[in-house]
Amino acid sequence: MPRIILQDENLNFENNKNESLSTNGFISDRDILKKRSKRYLDIISKLDATTLTDTKGMQELMNAIKEEFGTAELSSLPIGIVAKCFLGHPHEVHTLDLVGHQIIRHYKIGEPLPDDFEKGRTLAKHNAYAFVEVYRDKIILIREDGTSTKL
Amino acid sequence: MSQQVISYADLSIINNALRSISSDMSGVHSELGDLNNKQDLLEDELEKLADAFATFVEEDKKHKALQLAETRVGNLRQELQIKFGYYAEVRRMATGILQGVDTGVVSDDTLRFTTEEVMIKAPGYWLAPALVSLASWVRNDKSNTEKALNESLKRDDYKTTLFFMLVMRRLARNDASMKWLERYFMHQNPHNLDREFIVILEAVTTGVFPPASRQLMMSNVKNWLDQLTQGDNFINEQKSQWVKFFEAKGPLPDGKYPLLEKFASNWNALEVSMKESKTHRVLQTHFQNIFASSSDFSKAVKVQLDEILSMLVTNFDDEELPLQQQVRMNQLIIQMDGDKNAAQAMMDAEKHIFDEKVDFLQMLTNAAFNPELSGATKVTQALAVSISQPWIVEAHDTFTANSRNKIPATVDLDIDGFKSPTKDGSDENEQIQKHDNHWSNILQNELSKLSFPIGIVIIGALICLGGLYGFTINAIVGILGLGIGGVLIWNSINNHNKAKKTIANNIEERKTKSREVLRGCIAETVDYRKESATEDANAEGLRQLITSITAEDFSSISVGSKTILQTN
Repeated sequence: MPRIILQDENLNFENNKNESLSTNGFISDRDILKKRSKRYLDIISKLDATTLTDTKGMQELMNAIKEEFGTAELSSLPIGIVAKCFLGHPHEVHTLDLVGHQIIRHYKIGEPLPDDFEKGRTLAKHNAYAFVEVYRDKIILIREDGTSTKL
Repeated sequence: MSQQVISYADLSIINNALRSISSDMSGVHSELGDLNNKQDLLEDELEKLADAFATFVEEDKKHKALQLAETRVGNLRQELQIKFGYYAEVRRMATGILQGVDTGVVSDDTLRFTTEEVMIKAPGYWLAPALVSLASWVRNDKSNTEKALNESLKRDDYKTTLFFMLVMRRLARNDASMKWLERYFMHQNPHNLDREFIVILEAVTTGVFPPASRQLMMSNVKNWLDQLTQGDNFINEQKSQWVKFFEAKGPLPDGKYPLLEKFASNWNALEVSMKESKTHRVLQTHFQNIFASSSDFSKAVKVQLDEILSMLVTNFDDEELPLQQQVRMNQLIIQMDGDKNAAQAMMDAEKHIFDEKVDFLQMLTNAAFNPELSGATKVTQALAVSISQPWIVEAHDTFTANSRNKIPATVDLDIDGFKSPTKDGSDENEQIQKHDNHWSNILQNELSKLSFPIGIVIIGALICLGGLYGFTINAIVGILGLGIGGVLIWNSINNHNKAKKTIANNIEERKTKSREVLRGCIAETVDYRKESATEDANAEGLRQLITSITAEDFSSISVGSKTILQTN
């Protein structure tokens, strides 16, 4: 029950929460594949532009992620995110490590990614996807409009 | 002493004997070799014969299976005719009676007489009492109507309901047909739908029912979908079927990249990737066709109604299904030229369609994949696709992501030993540079392998020195020595240079050829990446196309077409 109280506190953040529900109404409540909220997408895609050195930005980021996945257990949260890097040549992708210490890291072409992240690299580079959520056993591709695909 | 005796003994006889034995042995050996050869030949022949025999047996088996299947199809058809032939008669009569009721030219007595006769002729068939009930209803015989109706409902509730629903609609009794429709939906279990359901879906979709029926259907369909999509199982099953369907739709390779085919070591991956990205366009046409034809409602409403009604009364009855399946199996054997296994495989693939009971999602998938086989038309195919749209999109996303994940990051060229990966062919200059370096390395290697004839040169030099020394003895000896030494040195150096030149020429030639190939490969790589990107972009177009389809939209189109139909 404490969750409800928490949610009440965060109510002002949840303007887009309704959007995150599947619009066509046919899809079941499969949490993991629900449409991602715009706020979440914005925060993740802003990673290139803003540095996360200040604690506030980091806090906001972690909040957004926790909020997005709501009640999901810790084990079912993504271990990180891979996205195309717009810093320019020779940077290729950057990763957001949600379990490790180094939160964000930019990788150059040919530079190997940590084990679990490598499987999302090819698709992260593809323009059709905004970013890739990396899980231990799968990757989930997120499009610009927030729709997701499991692989 | 004894050793001495042996050493003096004359062993030549023994030696000769041994020699002759060994020559005999070699004769035996050669004969053995001959024998071996013959044996090998014989074995080959035997293998060939065995192969030929096996092929013959296989062919013979197939031939016999083919003949058997042909006979069986005939027999089964005959059996169908004998067992269920009167069903066909009732069906024909049903159409006639319906038309008679429509036009009102058949007298009540005739109707009564004919329907009651049918009732006697076809015991156990639901259509017979339904016709009696219809005839009684026409002549206002309420008690008889109800009695016959009860009997008919007892025999086959679904079909009777459907039949009356359609007949009431045909006679423009909208309220009655809606009541029947409601009853029909109440009987349905979305996990376990009857084969006829596709017919009713068809009927409502094609707009032969009053507009209110569409809302009724859509609300029912929504409820079912909510029920079925509670868990992941049903959707995932449909999803994987769709993914397989997408995978199977890929076009054949067109041999557009002959150089890459030959010189790219990962050509297989490249080819598969290209095939998959080309699939999007094929699929786009596929889906466009479904919807293009669905807007074609040119047929008159009567034809439509008759089609659906006749589908209802002519489609196989449950009792007939086992026989019909056997007929199909034998037809497949004939189609496969007697290959039973292939026929069985095809039968298994079709089995989903032949399943008597399916869940709603599977029914939609059946109708979407192969409307003809599942007893639906293109219109229902379009509806099925539009209802299945959410998981078609998901399946397509998965398919696309999979194929994108498989796009090889590099084209791994392997040209005459020059191995180099290129990403997209944009690095032509670097590649050429790398290529030239590779060949100059090879040239150096080859040349270093060619050792300088230092020995001969030294000998020549020594002879020269000897010649110089020879001058002190005799001028002629000196000149001779110098000459021989000089010729020796000159010759060996000349030979060495010639060999060097040959190697250089040889390598230069290979290099030039290889460079041409490299340029060609790079050009093809650029084209390949371009084509791959264009084809891949189609995925987004297709995604938009599929996303833009919604069940609501579709039914509104159909409502529009329905008004067209009604004015006819």
